[in-house]
Amino acid sequence: MTARENLFDSDKLKVEEAPNSLQRDLIDGLRLGFISILVMLAAAFFFSGIVHPLFALGSVEETVMDVLTRLCLLVLPFVAYIVAAGPARRYSATNMARALFLALTCTVILFAAISAGHYALSYGAFAPRPSLEMSLSQTEAGIRVDAIVAGGAADIAEIKVGDIITAIRRDQVDLAAFNKRLNQSEEEAPLRLRFIRGDEEMQETVRVVLVSDKQLSVLIPGLVLGLVFTAIIVFLPGHWAPYIALVGLLSPLIVGYAWVIIATFSYRTEGLIPLDGNDNFGGLTLKNWESIIVGNIAGLEFNIVPIFMTSLAIALVMTFIVLLVSSMAGYALSRMHFPGRRFFLSFTLILHGFPAITLLIPIFFVLLRLGGIPIIGDLIGFNTIGGIALVMVAFQLPLGVWLMKGFFDNIPWDMERSALIDGASRFRTYWEILLPQIRPGLLALGIFAFIGGWNAYIIPATYSIGSGVSNLPVFLEELIDATAPVDWNQVAAVGMFQLIPIFIFFIFAQEYLLNIYAGGTKGSS
Amino acid sequence: MEIRIDNLTKKFGDVVGVEDLTLHIDDGEFVAFLGPSGCGKTTTLLTLAGIYKPTDGLIRFGDRVVNTVQPKDRNIGMVFQSYALYPHMTIFQNIAYPLKLKKVPKNVQNEQVRQVANVMGIGELLDRRPGQLSGGQQQRVALGRALVKEPDVLLFDEPLSNLDARLRLTMRGEIKHLQKNLGITSIYVTHDQVEAMTMADRIAVMNRGHLQAFDAPDELYDRPKTRFVAGFVGNPPMNFLDVEVSQSNGHFLAEADSIQLPLGADRGAPPAGHGGPVVMGIRPEDIQIVEKGDVTGEIFVVEPLGREDLIDVRVGPHGFILLADTEKQHRAGERVSLNFDMTQAQFFDPQTERSLLWRQ
Ligand SMILES: Nc1ncnc2c1ncn2[C@@H]1O[C@H](COP(=O)(O)OP(=O)(O)OP(=O)(O)O)[C@@H](O)[C@H]1O
Ligand SMILES: [Mg+2]
Repeated sequence: MTARENLFDSDKLKVEEAPNSLQRDLIDGLRLGFISILVMLAAAFFFSGIVHPLFALGSVEETVMDVLTRLCLLVLPFVAYIVAAGPARRYSATNMARALFLALTCTVILFAAISAGHYALSYGAFAPRPSLEMSLSQTEAGIRVDAIVAGGAADIAEIKVGDIITAIRRDQVDLAAFNKRLNQSEEEAPLRLRFIRGDEEMQETVRVVLVSDKQLSVLIPGLVLGLVFTAIIVFLPGHWAPYIALVGLLSPLIVGYAWVIIATFSYRTEGLIPLDGNDNFGGLTLKNWESIIVGNIAGLEFNIVPIFMTSLAIALVMTFIVLLVSSMAGYALSRMHFPGRRFFLSFTLILHGFPAITLLIPIFFVLLRLGGIPIIGDLIGFNTIGGIALVMVAFQLPLGVWLMKGFFDNIPWDMERSALIDGASRFRTYWEILLPQIRPGLLALGIFAFIGGWNAYIIPATYSIGSGVSNLPVFLEELIDATAPVDWNQVAAVGMFQLIPIFIFFIFAQEYLLNIYAGGTKGSS
Repeated sequence: MEIRIDNLTKKFGDVVGVEDLTLHIDDGEFVAFLGPSGCGKTTTLLTLAGIYKPTDGLIRFGDRVVNTVQPKDRNIGMVFQSYALYPHMTIFQNIAYPLKLKKVPKNVQNEQVRQVANVMGIGELLDRRPGQLSGGQQQRVALGRALVKEPDVLLFDEPLSNLDARLRLTMRGEIKHLQKNLGITSIYVTHDQVEAMTMADRIAVMNRGHLQAFDAPDELYDRPKTRFVAGFVGNPPMNFLDVEVSQSNGHFLAEADSIQLPLGADRGAPPAGHGGPVVMGIRPEDIQIVEKGDVTGEIFVVEPLGREDLIDVRVGPHGFILLADTEKQHRAGERVSLNFDMTQAQFFDPQTERSLLWRQ
């Protein structure tokens, strides 16, 4: 244990030496809990009551606000439990009983308060509503009776499961109209329903009863969930918290990748569950991968090898040129004085901020003209890998040059001077002394460039219209375009195929990225 | 290798690094550059090494003018304050690097590196990387790397300033010893004057880009030619006092307010002849607390230095720093009588700040 941690621990101990009274702790916890409830409510109100009307015209914003409001209300109790239970954690090392007691008591009180608030605000969640004690669903023929509460109003009126309700008295109804009608009814009001049973059309009168649809059976799991949650907070070791937060934040990504991987190996999927042709669990298959190798997806014939090689060529050419030019330019900008240096620096910065897409069409014409020049045109003209790589390199260079300059700036001058005095030429110093020291930077930039080139879509798609030059992302798009209906499992397989080199790249790069040099320099002069 | 620097000037745009520096260093000599921070010591050193091109002036190694010679062709070894070891190489590779660049055969490299490493006492560390060494060990590696190619000139830029006091003391001895044995002309930059005084054959005192004095340590101490040198060399620094020196029937007297100090003719005649106010300098070592002395004052501050106390005595508006035995147990506020050893007093022109006793 380091001295720092020791210090931290002794701080903690000091707090524990003079504990507050139990009552005081409870009040503290509850106060925090209630404050967080108020904050969350205020946020929900802000989204739904203030921002929402402002954007009422735009439907996109409307749903966003809606989601935010619901999110606030949904996580509100949990935030309150976490906040209220948090202070109890400091007892968890010494007095577990007290920590648990505090946390659980706070949670129960907050839970009661939130439920009561919910009851009041939602105009009586427990308030009885008019009901016919059956559950319904809309079908094409009419409203289907799905279930009936035994001994309930519908049961008494001899309605049966499977009946199709078409009208109340003579008014044709759908489910929405039916519910509206029901909600406006009073207790004991008779509703005469027309319905179809088998082929016969029938009528029965059902009397409305009042029932409360939120019951203790709903509340109790909620309370249990809250208490479990609170207990976890008290017991959870502090250093786990970041991981849990990370997993929470990354969960959409994790689910996404899980789907891609599962989908590539299955006939079809429902959510994350692989299904076979009869909608049963199973149906795992290699056919998605097989068809990539065979080169025939839903009638679209192709050869994956040249497509793969094009992707690889674009990525490699790009990585090589970006690394070479960036490191050299970065060195010059960091170490040498020449006229126009400052201008060049600010200009590249502006270029970096410039939205590249806006240059798409002008560059199209540039490449078209370049293509007209003999020899050069075959290398870097329109419809060539060289041309595509060149454009992508140009877009990537400003970032690369700045990044490299920053890395060179961090190498002390003395290191370079020392090498020069030891007898190295300037280039040798650059190559043997400076470059090895910015290896993490080169690697990071290399990965950027490689992944940028490998995943490039817009530029290859734009500058290789109607030619054989097609890389994996462009091919993926063609696949979606050319097949109908789109076989998403096939698409997932091609996407996965595209990811493989990136995975391999990272597995090897990881080690280098984590390899941080311990410098042999101290002080400065 | 004899080094002759003539009228060397190095400017960075408008900033003056060094100006009009003339310095002749003999073969095998150990010269220290001493001066406050920013006075141009490193600039001079790097210009000698060929890293900076001189704005003006000539640098000669022996008979060869090296102004435009590339650093790699100067056969120089340099030790930096930051050591500047190559972090991605092992200690062996670090020390071997100059040899590798000289295309020395592998087996010879191996032999020479091991030999130097053993001299430096880092023989067991050859497989490690610089990051795994202590500051003192890194310093030895840097020294080894500078020595391995048997340079004609060794340059040191404050090599010991990152080490603790004890290690500094031993390294000081080792460097001096090595230099004497190998007889390599060396320039040693420092702003620690004890280092300069103990190690150097001659010291070049610099201030604001200008050479103030270039002399043997004792000479600088006993016969400082400018007020700056007098104040910079010696620790604690010399006391200065504005006085008037008068002569009456063969007796000389330095006066400042109530302070009256009789002088011998050898020290008193030049300032008396100068006329008007002059600056008198007297070292702390030359003032004693006695039963009955020339001057009485009050102790203002006592700073214990261990073996001695550093005492600040106020006499009227004037303050004097002096040293006293700790056993005397002087206390602040105590009234004491001081005796000045005026045979060691220095006198300077207040305008030109040149010495009135020792002409250049
Ligand atoms: N590369 C440079 N560009 C501009 N000014 C410089 C440069 N190097 C040094 N100077 C300036 O030249 C003057 C002398 O600097 P130098 O580094 O030689 O001082 P120094 O005597 O070595 O000081 P220190 O004891 O702090 O190392 C300083 O005013 C410094 O600001
Ligand atoms: Mg310096």
